[in-house]
Amino acid sequence: MTLNAKEMTKSGLLNVFILVLGFAMLYPILWLIGASFKPSNMIFTDPGIFPTTVDLSNYSEGWKGIGIVNFGTFFRNSFTICLLSALGNVMFCSLTAYAFARLNFSGKRIWFAVMMLTLMLPAHVTTIPRYIMFRSFGWINTFLPIVVPKFFATDAFFIFLLVQFIRGLPKDLDESAYLDGCTKFGIFARIIMPLTTPAVISTVLFSFLWTWDDFFNQLLYLTSPNMYTVPMGLRLFLDASGKSSWGPMFAMSVLSLIPAFALFFSLQKYFVKGIATTGIKG
Amino acid sequence: MNKKLRENLTSYAFLTPWLLGFFILTLYPMFSSLYLAFTQYSLRQPPTWVGLRNFITMFGGSETIMGDERFLNSVGVTFKFVFLSVPLKLIFALVVAMLMNKKLKLIGLYRALYYIPTLLGGSVAIAVLWRRIFAGDGLLNLILMKIGMTDLPAWISNPKYALGTLILLAVWQFGSPMIIFLAGLQQIPKEYYEASSVDGAGKIRQFFAITLPGLSPIIFFNLVMQMVSAFQSFTQAFIVSGGSGGPLDSTMFYSLYLYIKGFGFSEMGYAAAMAWVLLLIIAVLTAFAFKVSGNLVTYGSGE
Amino acid sequence: MKKILMISSLAIALVTAVFANGKAAAPAAENDGTIRWAYWGSGERVEISQKAIDLYESRNPGVKINPEVSGGAGDHFVKVDTQLAGGMGPDIIQMGGNIYDYSDVILSLNAYAGTLLDVDAIDDSAIESGTINGELKGVSTGVTMPALVYNKTMIEKAGVPLPSFTMTYAEFRNYLVLLKSKLPAGTYPMQDIGVTSSSSTAFGYWTRFNGTPLYDGDTNSTAVTAAAAQKYLDLFKDYRDNGLVPPPDVAAGFAESNADTSALIAGKVAIAFLFTNQLSGYQAATTDELNFLEFPGAAATKALWQAPSQFYTVNKDSKNIEETVKFINFLVNDPEAAKILGSNRGASASSSARAAGAGSATDQKVFDYLEKSKDHASMETDHVPNDTEFNSTLFLIYQRVAFGQIDTKEGGKQVADLIQRMISK
Repeated sequence: MTLNAKEMTKSGLLNVFILVLGFAMLYPILWLIGASFKPSNMIFTDPGIFPTTVDLSNYSEGWKGIGIVNFGTFFRNSFTICLLSALGNVMFCSLTAYAFARLNFSGKRIWFAVMMLTLMLPAHVTTIPRYIMFRSFGWINTFLPIVVPKFFATDAFFIFLLVQFIRGLPKDLDESAYLDGCTKFGIFARIIMPLTTPAVISTVLFSFLWTWDDFFNQLLYLTSPNMYTVPMGLRLFLDASGKSSWGPMFAMSVLSLIPAFALFFSLQKYFVKGIATTGIKG
Repeated sequence: MNKKLRENLTSYAFLTPWLLGFFILTLYPMFSSLYLAFTQYSLRQPPTWVGLRNFITMFGGSETIMGDERFLNSVGVTFKFVFLSVPLKLIFALVVAMLMNKKLKLIGLYRALYYIPTLLGGSVAIAVLWRRIFAGDGLLNLILMKIGMTDLPAWISNPKYALGTLILLAVWQFGSPMIIFLAGLQQIPKEYYEASSVDGAGKIRQFFAITLPGLSPIIFFNLVMQMVSAFQSFTQAFIVSGGSGGPLDSTMFYSLYLYIKGFGFSEMGYAAAMAWVLLLIIAVLTAFAFKVSGNLVTYGSGE
Repeated sequence: MKKILMISSLAIALVTAVFANGKAAAPAAENDGTIRWAYWGSGERVEISQKAIDLYESRNPGVKINPEVSGGAGDHFVKVDTQLAGGMGPDIIQMGGNIYDYSDVILSLNAYAGTLLDVDAIDDSAIESGTINGELKGVSTGVTMPALVYNKTMIEKAGVPLPSFTMTYAEFRNYLVLLKSKLPAGTYPMQDIGVTSSSSTAFGYWTRFNGTPLYDGDTNSTAVTAAAAQKYLDLFKDYRDNGLVPPPDVAAGFAESNADTSALIAGKVAIAFLFTNQLSGYQAATTDELNFLEFPGAAATKALWQAPSQFYTVNKDSKNIEETVKFINFLVNDPEAAKILGSNRGASASSSARAAGAGSATDQKVFDYLEKSKDHASMETDHVPNDTEFNSTLFLIYQRVAFGQIDTKEGGKQVADLIQRMISK
């Protein structure tokens, strides 16, 4: 066996292994897509993945949303919130993270501990004080309670994430830049940020996805149906005291996964495109 | 301007947005909930001060006999969940991340494929799906029966196994730590591997000598964050059990009970007290993790 | 240094911009005369409610109504609770059986009854059930009744005659035994009602059947003793031991809170418990035909009851009380509005309207049931205070018995203790 053939067998086996394991990952999405084509009165009685009767009307029916507002509006609202949130988190969590990871200042340990503490309090008990606070700002029924906190780096998860990545970078990089007359901000913007691309991309992706999924805050702060978002729209299909529209709900669930999936697919190559630190380090 | 002052000024300038956010947006709700922890608050009447009563009730006071019994049960359920799901999820995520770091033609597609379970997040579809798999006549039992097993339980609605199905769900949604591991793997200089290959080191030795230490800041991050969020796990248990934490409170997570107490039973004061107890538990464990990490985590190749 | 100053000033500018802008941008939120109508519902309900709003707005220029709709009652109450606590509750709040727990925050409509709100047109029993301590707090949106529902297709397939509409408990048990003998393995005659999420309703029926009602608001007391509660647990233990209801781990897999968690829809059982207004939702989730039968023993004891499926209530802090009451009056009394709203929030409270005919075969079944069982019903029992907690804990105790963690005697004691605790809380 030549070396090349051996390599090919190995990679073939690897592919098979990944695909077999992948089926466990794929099963739910296949089921969901299958369910989205079943008529509502068959979804819970027809056990197979593939529908016996294909019903395309779930998509047209579902797109109508709640009749007075359609899914076009829900998608637009969700996109607005998610894009702004991702932007805010990337810009301001990275500034904060740089300070914690690289700069020396008095009170650093205490502030870091405080930042970590903000992650540990279950959100349900701050719901009402937060509501009262945002109400006093006059922000009810706007996107502000959901978006603005991101511009003030309140999501400590991302700060800590970026801190860990920045601390992983060799220090002599910024030291030599500093000696070359670079300002701290210059080092941050020109050296640190590009070198932590995978972490920054993760921040963009998770901010987007988690805001997309964050049903609870959207439920509380958005009160006019034309401000509603995709997860709110999905919940509106289900009502135990009336008729739940399962088919349309699954159809719109499938649609709601597409932006997230597309975003992930287009960003995934950056997870492995860290800039070769070795070259710079020399 | 002396150097120290200058450095402080620079640093605090970088921190300004976060500090503003902390003082304007975070501090008030946190303190407010701390105050509520010492009150009785039904949401429909103003809170009244009750001192330590909520905490006493929680840990064995007799005022609400059922109440604290369910509370203590939820502590047990949550600890079991955290200590089983977090290590399993991290190991799985790391293995898959190393797999996804290979250079294969379709690797982009594979990565997206493996991320799908996580994309589903807390969607309602998960509840339906999990029941389909783990019900008495679910997919799992059909497979087990094919290989000759009989007398199989309804996993998801049996108090002995229901928590197990939620642990599996947590592990199955391993995408976020996987992505972070994948990103972390890029930070390990390739030349380390090349050099050690030349020295004749095998894959396994490379893993322990290069990958693990190089990845240690990221492993530490994932460990701490997964622990913090596992303690606060809510959505999946809420959806799968239909908000009940059943059967027999076997999936009654701490946060789920807190939510039911606060909004369902209108005891927001008690819920706030529970929240601060949880904060304390998590903070102690996290501080411990930071302490231990001092010896195990190595930062930056230059340090 | 310049850059750093720039960042901080940028941040501060952002703060001011955002906070100043927020005040200006705040829309209809604070009081500007808009009536905020919070309800839960989906699809059809949202559409017809909007039609009613459009009609009202066209007739009353200048009045604006904003529907604040949530998908289910759970979402609705979390949102409303938060808004009320934040001093920003909606004007109209849709309520269910938990209306008693909210009576402190709801406006008494006594002052408007007979003037802005035409109460003569509404059934006496509907007015009665919305009255708490002599004050009219909620206006009924329509009527519902607890019922049993059976899967006709499944029973016919098993070759068993359909159940009679009215039975005694002895006849009912015999019928379950007959079903058991004919149904295929893995399916059961009836869902174990107590392990389902609305267990307090079924238990409530049983206590009325036995003449030991759950709660009396006037005397703030219960007639349920430990022994009385134990009888209920024993009844279902007998069913469970004989395979007439599924084993606990199967039963607990179906909370019966909606069609997706229903053992009846999944084809696991032939009979389940429902409120009549849920039938159309269940029927829409299966191709099998569903039909009603009465709870056993109702004929002799009049233990059934009619209840409003929901209430319209007014927030006592509403800034537009008069306009709000006028709008509610329109929703319940205006003939055109009635035509638009149909029986989506429960069947109309008047039997003459019901006689006029139903929109669908399923609606007709509901009307028939209400008409037939009317004479086997009596005034609704007051709800035990702290409805949600009572329900949740009762459910837990029942499960402990079903899974054999405690015996029925201990279970009965825990139920009696629970009711006492809810009353004194």
